[in-house]
Amino acid sequence: MILPPHITPLGKKRPTGSDRTPIYALVGNPNCGKTTLFNALTGLRQKVGNYPGVTVEKKIGECYSQHGRPMKIIDLPGAYSLAARSPDEAVLRDVLLGRREDTPQPDRIICVLDATNLERNLYLAHQILDLGRPVIVVLNMMDLAVKAGLRIDTDQLAAALGVIVISCSAVHGKGLVELKLAMSRSDLPLARHRWDVPAPIAPAVAELQASLSDADAQSPLIARAEALLLLTDFESVRIAGSKPLSARTTTVLAAWKQRCLREENNWSGTLIRSRYAAINALCGEVLRRTRTQELSGSDRLDAVLVHSVWGWLFFGFIMGALFFSIFSLAEYPMNWIDAHIAALSSGIKTVLPPGDLRDLITDGVISGVGGIVIFLPQILILFFFVGLLESTGYMARAAFLMDRPMSKVGLHGKSFIPLLGSFACAIPGIMATRTIENAKDRLVTILIAPLMSCSARLPVYLLMIATLLPAAALPATWKAGLMLLMYLLGTAGAFGFAWLFKRTLFKSARPLMIMELPAYQPPRLKEILRQMVERSWLFLKNAGTIILGISIVLWFLTAYPKHPDPKASAEAQIAVSFAGQAGHLLEPVIKPLGFDWRIGIGLVTSFAAREVFVSSMSVIFGVQDNGEDALPVRDALRAARWPNGAILFTPLVCITLMVYYVFAMQCMSTIAVVKRETNSWRWPLFQIAYMTGTAWLVCFAIYQIGRALGY
Amino acid sequence: MINGDDGFAQRLREMGFGEAALVTKISGRTTSLCQVNGTRIALNHNAAMAILVEALPTGVR
Repeated sequence: MILPPHITPLGKKRPTGSDRTPIYALVGNPNCGKTTLFNALTGLRQKVGNYPGVTVEKKIGECYSQHGRPMKIIDLPGAYSLAARSPDEAVLRDVLLGRREDTPQPDRIICVLDATNLERNLYLAHQILDLGRPVIVVLNMMDLAVKAGLRIDTDQLAAALGVIVISCSAVHGKGLVELKLAMSRSDLPLARHRWDVPAPIAPAVAELQASLSDADAQSPLIARAEALLLLTDFESVRIAGSKPLSARTTTVLAAWKQRCLREENNWSGTLIRSRYAAINALCGEVLRRTRTQELSGSDRLDAVLVHSVWGWLFFGFIMGALFFSIFSLAEYPMNWIDAHIAALSSGIKTVLPPGDLRDLITDGVISGVGGIVIFLPQILILFFFVGLLESTGYMARAAFLMDRPMSKVGLHGKSFIPLLGSFACAIPGIMATRTIENAKDRLVTILIAPLMSCSARLPVYLLMIATLLPAAALPATWKAGLMLLMYLLGTAGAFGFAWLFKRTLFKSARPLMIMELPAYQPPRLKEILRQMVERSWLFLKNAGTIILGISIVLWFLTAYPKHPDPKASAEAQIAVSFAGQAGHLLEPVIKPLGFDWRIGIGLVTSFAAREVFVSSMSVIFGVQDNGEDALPVRDALRAARWPNGAILFTPLVCITLMVYYVFAMQCMSTIAVVKRETNSWRWPLFQIAYMTGTAWLVCFAIYQIGRALGY
Repeated sequence: MINGDDGFAQRLREMGFGEAALVTKISGRTTSLCQVNGTRIALNHNAAMAILVEALPTGVR
């Protein structure tokens, strides 16, 4: 009886040798189902972090062999090739070549191929086989391949490549057992590559391979694979945290590069053609189409969804549904959270005696952290929609549609997704810029993302609109219109600055968008939920740790120094505090905008989170001395006066304040994330300067012109 | 034929846009959606302008 290749025959020795846990690298093209497979193999036994020095997600998980031994799996970023055009692809290349100090070189590689698109997926596999490591090829989405009339002879493919080939449908859990059994084998075959380096490149490869073996201590096959990459990809991305090439290798490479350019050789074209010739010959042997290619379901859907009219209508409908969910449906759970936070605060107040410790906990910690937790429903809804659009394949179409308007300002469609996310919160939006390959486009997107009016601005807008427009005075459409105006202003500002930056600081050639549109698929709710939990936890962790620290600092600034009179009102206490002093110090700068020192305190405290402005105003204007309930904040704002008796919150000041919040950079959490994503303080400081400077100038113009016109 | 910088040309070739590849245009005017090697690829105007194709006579595949 002939056993399938993934099963260890009886009588074979059990794995001996070192107790080191074997490390698998999971590689594959984007959209091949690699992450679904990773999640299916590892379950919740995953750790997610970042590769040091570069903003690329690092995912390591664990599963168990048939003998019960643990096996580590590194889920590497998806890529079409080992030629690195982005930090993601550079991490993939460097981990496989053993050039990352922070990540051990994988012992074995699981190469996931999309069975519905074998030719293109085999390109990366072809490069992986060059490495000479044990490889298991997983043909994923086999169910879709069969539906599309494709028949793949896996035995013949395995024989041709000299590796184990497993058919799989990760989303349905098929093939996982066979894969785990194959991973458990101690004697995985090494790849047999029926492919020779093209003759024009061979001498260069040989010399560079020798240098990499001697000077960089690479094994012969890894050295050969790396030599091929170096000689055919002179402009590849290098990243922090990876071991650089030795001086000798750099010299050899530079000499061959000069010769290549002098002789006008096209080594990369030659190599790619050679690989595809081998791949096409292989596919001719193993791949059969049982019916002629006709329009697929995805093609029929695309005829509508990327249509120049229907496509936009559908896109508008989806965006409308997204915004409605974020700003209407989320209200109920947000109110629930708000009520519980208030109850927690009240509970603490009944348990602890009055004093600084109680105030620190209720007004500092609970108020500050609660101010972030309250946005969790909106974040979850946003991630749900983003996950839904991504897993169905529609997000790529949305980026395709948005490419034309984005290109008018020098960006391309991929920048749309981070900007969309920033409408809920700039933090996940900025993190989503990692998918943008061009470094300048990525930086511009990061710099403009906070201009998209995030949900934290909503409480400020709502308060100002309520102050400006009493409930009975005007229909709700006016208020909605004013709100929409603020959103449009922020979006226009973002596009305007993108246009300016792309023509000045970040000049680059007009962006070239090449994007694969995956086939439409039914949404995978389990995956979406997992991603929601993962990303929300990261959001809470990032924002909560920084916000907690800032909230404590800001509480301190509003609580100290103490008013000489222990019975002084909260308003009087704030006036003498460090925050109050800062407000007074700020007043000459903000008075031309129509703001006084009390609004100045609100602007200072908004650095913790923009929505803190509302609670600051309620403390400064709304607290009563006689123990009665505080006036609604808006009534207190309407009653507020300058020392000369003039109304403070005139309609002009309300609008000016809203516009200030549209443009100003105030959120410390966002600043911290920008710093992390750009690996520098330069860009967050630049962002604070240009956004806050713009806010001041625009508000100065609005207020002064408004006053001149008699408002 | 592929014009444009080396990195762009290499990426296109890696995705299957070789000199002998069969390209089927699915839709689009300024942004193009086409099929190459079984892959559905979106190209913006600048990327599409860098790729020179030869139209096949009707009925020939």
